[in-house]
Amino acid sequence: MCDNCGCSITDANRHLVENDRHTIQVLEDLLHENDQQADHNRSHFDELGIFAVNIMSGPGSGKTSLLEATIHALPPGLRLAVIEGDLETENDAERIRRHGVPAVQITTGMACHLDAHMVHKALDQINLKAVDILFIENVGNLVCPASFDIGQHSNVLLLSVTEGDDKPAKYPVMVRAADQMLITKIDLLPYIEEFSVDRARAAVRDIRSDLPVTEVSAKTGHGLEPWLEWLTAMSAMRRTMARRQRRSHDYVARQAR
Amino acid sequence: MHETAIVEGLMRILEEQAAQHRVTRILSVTVKVGRLRAVEPQQLIACFEMFAEGTVAECARLVIDSMPVRARCKACKMEFEVPRFRFECPGCAGGDVAVIQGQELYIESFEAGSG
Ligand SMILES: Nc1nc2c(ncn2[C@@H]2O[C@H](COP(=O)(O)OP(=O)(O)OP(=O)(O)O)[C@@H](O)[C@H]2O)c(=O)[nH]1
Ligand SMILES: [Mg+2]
Ligand SMILES: [Zn+2]
Ligand SMILES: [Zn+2]
Repeated sequence: MCDNCGCSITDANRHLVENDRHTIQVLEDLLHENDQQADHNRSHFDELGIFAVNIMSGPGSGKTSLLEATIHALPPGLRLAVIEGDLETENDAERIRRHGVPAVQITTGMACHLDAHMVHKALDQINLKAVDILFIENVGNLVCPASFDIGQHSNVLLLSVTEGDDKPAKYPVMVRAADQMLITKIDLLPYIEEFSVDRARAAVRDIRSDLPVTEVSAKTGHGLEPWLEWLTAMSAMRRTMARRQRRSHDYVARQAR
Repeated sequence: MHETAIVEGLMRILEEQAAQHRVTRILSVTVKVGRLRAVEPQQLIACFEMFAEGTVAECARLVIDSMPVRARCKACKMEFEVPRFRFECPGCAGGDVAVIQGQELYIESFEAGSG
């Protein structure tokens, strides 16, 4: 037994083991199962023309508050649903349901991120045929969620003014993964002189020059318009793509007959 | 701790591969990890040692081949290593660049013995 871990390789017999050492090449993705499941989730969304948005930020940056403000501000024709990820509680889903929007809570327990399997299980509890935009609020964490594809079309990153304008530089992987970034709680800016919007924007630009950054307040509703317009446009595009896909399927099916 | 999920994937691959190649002992495992994956090498190793206990990979050494981030400028086509996540082209100072390396997260190979 070796001293370190109790296995049976020792200095005395190591050469025996090493004699027929050979290398086997594998080249396989470590998150392969997750990525496959994510593609599967995305195919559900694409078939039904659902726009799926993954919302990521550190704990307490205002993800749920943004969703609540968004529910009220979006044009009434759009049908919404929310999947909430949290380590422990059901609170966030309950907050969303109060606004009349269906919400499913996933409690991840130990895992500080959602993965594609968790999201797929949650989809069973949603009537997807009646959804245009599916928001998935990820667990509050600025590292782990970026590594896991959950089937979303877009990533939205939130940074609140109370967290400090150096956060983009400290979490560059998140910034690279984002398709939209919102600087939140902008109503608090007058009270937090340490936070410079220009510095935060410059830090983002260094990492990802083409990332759209918008300043918003979920509390006052200030600055939400570009965010709402983006959601509306993306949702319309997803619906159009699904319609086109259905038409071409029908066409192929007719030709085959 | 997304490292646990990554190591779970790795262990699944190793056990499948070991069965397929009739390997009874794995001596070392080499994984390629891009810097854009935000993986903590020490955590990955600690996690691997824990998960490998009682498997064919017990006592195996985990070699992490860390891949620096590289990008290609879309304007002037220059390829360059990205220092400290500053995605700016050193040729033309443009910021519109495509990542060409740094997203890797896969097992390259493992060394088998039969002891
Ligand atoms: N002043 C102000 N406070 C806000 C704003 N948005 C959120 N908050 C407050 O910030 C705190 C956290 O907001 P949440 O919406 O729960 O944040 P979260 O990102 O969903 O939090 P977790 O899910 O726990 O990570 C709450 O006390 C909110 O009232 C805002 O725009 N302005
Ligand atoms: Mg929340
Ligand atoms: Zn994690
Ligand atoms: Zn250039």
